[in-house]
Amino acid sequence: MQEEESLVRRAQQRDEEAFTQLYEAYFDKIYRYVALKIGNKTEAEDMTQQVFSNALQSISSFKWRGISFSAWLFRIAHNQVVDYLRKKSKQATALLDESLVSSDSNPQLVAEHRLDIEQLVLATKQLTETQREVVSLRFAGELPIAQVAKVMGKSQGAVKALQHSAIVALRKSLLLAEDNERD
Amino acid sequence: MKETKEFNNILDECLERLLARGESIEQCLVSYPEQADELGPLLRTALEAKEALAIQPRPEFRARARYHFGSVLREVKPKRRFFSLGWQPRWAMAVSVVLIMLLAGGGTVAAAGGSMPDSPLYPVKLATEQVWLTLTPSNMGRVELHAKLVERRVVEIIYMADKGDVQQVEVIAQRLDNHLVMVASLALAERGEERAMFAPAAEETGEDVYNRRNNRARLRLILESHAANQQDKLQDVLETAPESVKPALRRAIAVSGTGYERALEALD
Repeated sequence: MQEEESLVRRAQQRDEEAFTQLYEAYFDKIYRYVALKIGNKTEAEDMTQQVFSNALQSISSFKWRGISFSAWLFRIAHNQVVDYLRKKSKQATALLDESLVSSDSNPQLVAEHRLDIEQLVLATKQLTETQREVVSLRFAGELPIAQVAKVMGKSQGAVKALQHSAIVALRKSLLLAEDNERD
Repeated sequence: MKETKEFNNILDECLERLLARGESIEQCLVSYPEQADELGPLLRTALEAKEALAIQPRPEFRARARYHFGSVLREVKPKRRFFSLGWQPRWAMAVSVVLIMLLAGGGTVAAAGGSMPDSPLYPVKLATEQVWLTLTPSNMGRVELHAKLVERRVVEIIYMADKGDVQQVEVIAQRLDNHLVMVASLALAERGEERAMFAPAAEETGEDVYNRRNNRARLRLILESHAANQQDKLQDVLETAPESVKPALRRAIAVSGTGYERALEALD
């Protein structure tokens, strides 16, 4: 954490190496978060790139006052997703296209993995917007609960309750999908 | 109400152990046998969600995005003010270290060169490396220097692994990864500049282009050889290292493997 703080301070001084390290540390996480939220590969790629460009432009305004760098970065990503969804004025998630799946060479494994992601995306559609945000930040963004709370502007207790209800709803939805498949 | 709050805390603690610390569901359930029936299915769902989300950006997108990011990074750099060092801490540090070298004498710096992370001279070693990087003007020169520094990090990992210091192994592995990320970024930036130069080819001679490509090919060979040697060395240590260090060492091997793959890809 202290190392990250020092990296951020260097990045604020336009230290190329420090910003590159932050970029590498968060690139995949931001991509997964965006991909889960919007479910479109090309848009997720463009948006991930845009998140880091925006972060770079505004990092000098970032201050260590009650908010960590990761929470700040995910807030930028969240705002962009919200803008995107508002413009598209459609549901938050569409089916993930095939190329979002990891580039595994075994077709059977790819098919199985794809099924999982599709199920997950469909299942998250059954959640409320705030539950979906907790799942995206916690499982795709890999943020600890304290940071999720900062991004969402809620107390840790509220986020823990949301996390609980989200997983329960997710489980119900996945079980229902499994039952439908069997029938 | 109180019980629900308690359960939410337990669920979150178990998720943290499961997702961040790599513990198993069973380990969590053992800690909370009374809640196991309710906790188990939820943790399994969370784990499934996490596994389903293990998607990776396409390598070509990753490379394109990194290059684009490098371009933006260079664009937003402020113009340098002639008499001020405030804008560039790397230069300020370079000057500081040179002053320290003058005051302490070259012997200190020379001694620091071989120091290990548990030595008081180790910060001098890292600072000296930063000075080398700052004072190296060309991208490919810095690539070569970062590659040499990776070798130093491997030696340090082996030393700290022998001592059983898990934390230091992880910290140094992160530094090693940073060097390899810089190798890839600088090589990609160089390739972008090379492409841009093809358009106004009038100023660059065929020999220049040949030398540039030759240099990339030479660095690629060096890196390939380093990658193989270092992986062998780390694997050897893995066999003899204390059990407590082995997970960190395995992560270091994985980080090094992935880092070299990216770096070699960027030098293609």
